[in-house]
Amino acid sequence: MGGQASVGAQRKILILATESCAYPGADSVGQAHASYPANTYILKVKAPVLFPERFYLDCFRKGIGGIIIMSCGEECPYKGAYKAMAQRLDRVYAQMKEQGLDIRRLRLTAICTVCNRAFLNEVNQMNQVLQELDAPVQAQA
Amino acid sequence: MAERTNHNPAQAPADSQAPAHNPAKNPPPAQNHDQAPDRNHDHDQAQDQAQDPARVGVYICYCGGNISDHVDVEAVRARMAAQPGVAVARTNMFMCSDPGQELIMEDLRAGRINRVVVASCSPSLHEGTFRSAIARAGGNPYQYEHANIREQVSWVHHGQAATDKATRLISAAAGKAGLLDALSPLRVEALRRAVVIGGGVAGLRAALDMADSGIQVLLVERTAWLGGAVARLGRLAPVGEDASGLLRGLAGQVLAHPGVTVHARAVVSGFGGYLGNFSLTLSRTPDPDVNADVNADANANADAVADAAPLSKMPSKTPSKMPSKMPSKMPSKMTVGGFVRGLGVLAPTQPDAASQDQGPLTVRTGVIVLATGHRSYTPKRGEYGYAENPEVLTLPRLIQHLADTEAETGPLLVLNGRAIRRLAIIHCVGSRQIPGIHQEDESGCLNEHCSRVCCAASINAANQVRERHPQTSVYELYRDIRTYGRGQEEMYAKAAANRVVFLRYSADDAPEVRRCPAGQGFPLEVAVRDGLTLGQELRVPVDLVALATGMVPGPVAELVDMLKLPVGADRFLQEVHPKLRPVELPLPGVFLAGTCQAPMDIGEVCSAASAAAVKAVALLSKGHVELDPFVAEVDEQACTGCGACVAACLNKGALGLETLELDGAMVSRARVTPALCLGCGACVAVCPEYAIDINGWTLAQYEAMVDRIVCRLEGVA
Repeated sequence: MGGQASVGAQRKILILATESCAYPGADSVGQAHASYPANTYILKVKAPVLFPERFYLDCFRKGIGGIIIMSCGEECPYKGAYKAMAQRLDRVYAQMKEQGLDIRRLRLTAICTVCNRAFLNEVNQMNQVLQELDAPVQAQA
Repeated sequence: MAERTNHNPAQAPADSQAPAHNPAKNPPPAQNHDQAPDRNHDHDQAQDQAQDPARVGVYICYCGGNISDHVDVEAVRARMAAQPGVAVARTNMFMCSDPGQELIMEDLRAGRINRVVVASCSPSLHEGTFRSAIARAGGNPYQYEHANIREQVSWVHHGQAATDKATRLISAAAGKAGLLDALSPLRVEALRRAVVIGGGVAGLRAALDMADSGIQVLLVERTAWLGGAVARLGRLAPVGEDASGLLRGLAGQVLAHPGVTVHARAVVSGFGGYLGNFSLTLSRTPDPDVNADVNADANANADAVADAAPLSKMPSKTPSKMPSKMPSKMPSKMTVGGFVRGLGVLAPTQPDAASQDQGPLTVRTGVIVLATGHRSYTPKRGEYGYAENPEVLTLPRLIQHLADTEAETGPLLVLNGRAIRRLAIIHCVGSRQIPGIHQEDESGCLNEHCSRVCCAASINAANQVRERHPQTSVYELYRDIRTYGRGQEEMYAKAAANRVVFLRYSADDAPEVRRCPAGQGFPLEVAVRDGLTLGQELRVPVDLVALATGMVPGPVAELVDMLKLPVGADRFLQEVHPKLRPVELPLPGVFLAGTCQAPMDIGEVCSAASAAAVKAVALLSKGHVELDPFVAEVDEQACTGCGACVAACLNKGALGLETLELDGAMVSRARVTPALCLGCGACVAVCPEYAIDINGWTLAQYEAMVDRIVCRLEGVA
């Protein structure tokens, strides 16, 4: 199933949202009935530090157009997780460059439980990036 | 409740083949640690059932139109019914209703399904509801996944895009659900102890309720006094109980209770642990000179037409009108349990010999109740003449003065030797602030909330003045009157009978307080465009202006940072859900009580405190608590004992290496201590063998969700 990407999958944005900050933040946007593009798919995570480098590259290979990691930032309840996460992303960026992937497709940000504007801003920015990149890009398998 | 509709009560399973995943082929390895949590035997049968091939039931909620107004729920159901691995797809008007839950339970009992996906509102609202329903039907509550199609779909998207996105999110949830193994909650011993932070009425009430239920309570108060803001009040709205009497009674019970230990002059400076076994470090301030406190308070009162600081900058002419000392019945030496208005009931500071050294004290507790209270809004300099005119004071100061002089009557209210012929009370000072109209504070924030109690407090004060000093006129300048509680409307009517004059202003045309022109005989005048007289501009010469200042969040930034507490847009501490879980925080075992959460009156504070106490007692009553089993688990066969996970672990002690016998050989393997594991997954990402995962949040499950998001679905964008 994973190898059979749908038409337009490159415009799909995967949002990894922390359960204690960004996920309720996304709920807060909903509670405010603030609309944003529907190509966004929010997955709740305890902490994005869980994902190894290959997870991101696999997502792009499968056809995800952009990934926004919405973390708790420095307020992460798991002390040290944010720093470890940031260091890992440096390695992911290096691998993305090696594979010809625009590193703007992957973004780490901090979203709090009431960061409605920041949430919307991040989604809109990633959509702008994807519109700019537009053409489907496949990483090396 | 709207009509509950089961749209497909007799629907046959859409696909009973459901071959997506067979957990029996990959059973969860046994817990490989000494401190393995007790398994809940209630789940054994459910675990056996869960070894069957995955048969996912998908249940989609209309949410009474909240979802179905924007998502074609029946179209989504049809799509889901055609998905591989989905055995049943049903809809209901309210999945959280009893009939909605019964749909799930019946399918489980009939063996049609063994994993559940509910697509409805945010999981923060009803995840627990559905897990509980699954457990009641004999299923495993952890073989459940939630798709959030209200807050994250129907409330933000519309039309076909909403329907398509809902389809993909539910499909992703079903993909994950098919891989969910049966889990059992972690059972950890729970200390039958509670720590209450804050010694106001909320903290006292919660402490007493828990102690009465057999919980050992430690109450931490940063000052030397119990009572908080209530210590500054006099006769309470609406019927005039004596605040000091209420407070003395409550604090007296707490101090006399053998189950409560009070640590005054102590603050929480360290935090660790988890529900059932928290660890708090208390830093203590030096032994206080309580009598100095009393004298300081007396002097503050002596300054008091208004707050001491602003008055210190007043022209010398003004203070000369004031007495050097307030007529106050301050005792010459305070003893524990003694009461001083404005301060409260004196608490013991050294309850045990162990704390004599004044060093940090570490205490362990099963639960924590936050009762840190609020602070009263301090007007900015010049706001309605505050701090620029000695005749402008805050309502709390006026209330305290009325309490201190309760025995005094006479035709005119006398304040510091000055007769008050006319008093103006301005409402909504520091509350209901509007962007563009009001000025932000130094941190760029506005108090947009209503403080709820000020209207009643203002009218109560006005009634007291009018009844004790009938020749003092009182003018209430308000935006809206919110006397919402029992007896308050009557109190409002009584104010009219007492000839209190009400003038209504609008937020964008606030009253102006200025010096009265010479010869008028009054020091101040209040200019207001009165909405009750069709916008007539009125100028009211007055002797005194009281500003009904609202409640603002207390200074709890350190606690917020330490405990990672959620804070609302209004900067008060934020509960999990305002209606369904109003005293709980996302951090299990930590509860909210009182005005640290929102403005409340004393009755509401006690309700919240008692609710928090009941929640805490219920958690601790069994002597153990059950925690979600979302912790790391090692596949011993795949683990090579390289130690990368141990190095990456963020919670010291949660992961270690141990030598064990495996297939006849002694090998080194990673070992998890579940009670200490945070479940963050830092270990997962670094394992070269993919031999460690977080139960319920595995990488394979995430990969399955991504696959469902990108896969080709007929007719779905």
